[in-house]
Amino acid sequence: MQNFEINSNQIDKIDKISTEEKSFRIKNLELFKAVGFPHKRLEDWKFSDFRNIIDKNFEELNTKKVSSVVNKIDLLKDFEHNYILLVNGKLHSSNFDHEEKNKVKINSFDKSIDYKINKNPLVCLNHALAEGGYSLEVEKNYKLKKVIVIYNLFTKDIKNNILNNKNKIKVNENSELHIIELTINESKSKFINNVYESIILKKNSKVKNLVIQSNKSNGFFHKFSKSKLSFNSDYSNFIFSSGLKFNKIDIECDLIEENSKCNILSALCLNKEEHQEIKTLINHLAPNCKSNQKIKNILNGESKGVYQGKIYVKDIAQKTDAYQLSKALLLKENAEFNSKPELEIYADDVKCSHGSSSGNIDQESLHYLMTRGLTREDSIKLLIKGFLNDIIEFIKNPSIKKFIETKLENQINGY
Amino acid sequence: MLKIKNLQASVDKKSILKGLNLTIKPGELHAIMGPNGSGKSTLANVLSGKNGYKISGEIIFEGENLNDIPIEKRAQKGIFLAFQYPLEIPGVNTNIFLKTSLNSIRKSKGKKEVDTLAFLKLVKEKSSELGIDEKILSRQLNVGFSGGEKKKNEILQMKILDPVFSILDETDSGLDIDALKIIAKGVNSSRDSKKSFLVITHYQRLLDYIKPDFVHVLSDGKIIKTGCGELAEELEKTGYSKLN
Repeated sequence: MQNFEINSNQIDKIDKISTEEKSFRIKNLELFKAVGFPHKRLEDWKFSDFRNIIDKNFEELNTKKVSSVVNKIDLLKDFEHNYILLVNGKLHSSNFDHEEKNKVKINSFDKSIDYKINKNPLVCLNHALAEGGYSLEVEKNYKLKKVIVIYNLFTKDIKNNILNNKNKIKVNENSELHIIELTINESKSKFINNVYESIILKKNSKVKNLVIQSNKSNGFFHKFSKSKLSFNSDYSNFIFSSGLKFNKIDIECDLIEENSKCNILSALCLNKEEHQEIKTLINHLAPNCKSNQKIKNILNGESKGVYQGKIYVKDIAQKTDAYQLSKALLLKENAEFNSKPELEIYADDVKCSHGSSSGNIDQESLHYLMTRGLTREDSIKLLIKGFLNDIIEFIKNPSIKKFIETKLENQINGY
Repeated sequence: MLKIKNLQASVDKKSILKGLNLTIKPGELHAIMGPNGSGKSTLANVLSGKNGYKISGEIIFEGENLNDIPIEKRAQKGIFLAFQYPLEIPGVNTNIFLKTSLNSIRKSKGKKEVDTLAFLKLVKEKSSELGIDEKILSRQLNVGFSGGEKKKNEILQMKILDPVFSILDETDSGLDIDALKIIAKGVNSSRDSKKSFLVITHYQRLLDYIKPDFVHVLSDGKIIKTGCGELAEELEKTGYSKLN
């Protein structure tokens, strides 16, 4: 990218900045500049050559401030919910009318700088320039009555912009939170959204996070998600994504205390030249923890799907139960799926397994369904839905499940 | 109903059916017997329209040449194949599949789709006739079904879709005697003057319960002998080798 220059002047423009924060930002800017946009020679990016993708799609990039003014958005009517509205990544408004007062707190962008140095250049870029975002906290002993929908709206005027946002979610002891993150895209021009997300689960807490990206979009998305799970906490992350030109979700989950559980499930539908990667690192740092990962990809056209999943088990993390599975269904010859499962285990009494497979639509199954009067098209759709079914089955709320099924149906009908 | 003239079928230049002739009239039940590798399942597949075969000759079904008719259109015209090895389709609910299937066939005939209530009533009636536990129908299609359950599920599909011409490809294999009797009963209660059947089997046992009008012996891709029910009994005693 020739037309993308950033220097420390940009950091000076950021409001109310302390000396420590400034030096943290400058340091990260240096780290980013040393590598630039990540490329395929970096191990973590070998299947997703971000630099090349950016070069091909952008003639220039900028980090100009964008407006976060918006008139009105249509809220979902499918189920009752609280909401947070983000406009171009910045906190616009929120509503927790379904909840008791003072149990759920929200602030804009968390200014903390206690982040470790990260080797992902896009995380460094985020640390250097991030301004917008939200910080959400649930008080002790409180289970939210309704789900919080985070409307993540991108407006029309963000052409060639790199939006760096930082979000933080903290759920205190014995509390429960269910969020649905929904991307709404009004921008017809290309932009990059680079998000850093930090999720903290205290003792006995539970977080369910559903990410839905289903609109056609010209956005290029990267998210780094870091979660820390304390004693007996339970974190689930569901990702339903389709229609994005580029999407990489980099998940790092630390099971820091006993009996914590993490569940990562994903149903991705790709078409045309879309590119999606899920990268995970599950750190089992304490005994008796459980992790489960199931990634399913439907790949059409010339799309490319990537899964890089690593399970790390520390020597003291005995009785670890870790599982990962990635499966891809390739609908066209030119679609591609790359999978790199990794296990690094230093404890001797653990249960770890991984599996990966990719293949085409099974012709025998297709024949079977067609002999029952279903057209070829309908049979393929049925097989696709069946393939994704075990991910959908994890969604227990019937109206949310129906909402997701409708989204997926639209996507599958578009093939 | 069905007229097959000089049917030849090959896969990868290997010839399997080598000039097969067969006529089935409305209301008739024909049995095809024959040794392993004689082409019985290929005949069933070719009649269903399965891709991958090079075909010559004619298959005339109710006056129409089927050669260029795709699989689902054949099903919509009333041809049904009960599979020798019913496929397991993970993630697809059996009831939803049955309803989709029934409605695709109804739609193609310009009939109104059945609603859930009417469908469930139909399923209840047909499954109790076949001694099928309705619970399995809310499970994934054939996934984790026992051999007998899979075969019963094929006959259930036949009864629900109500085809005019059914091909049963070794439906009896792997069944215990009780299941065999139930399936035979299910087939017999579907027989009438308009419906025809082609029953493919290795053993005469099935034909003790489903009485055929004709028995054909298929060997090396051709029908080499045709007779009535007694032919099956004769084969049971003498084996196929004597015929060649």
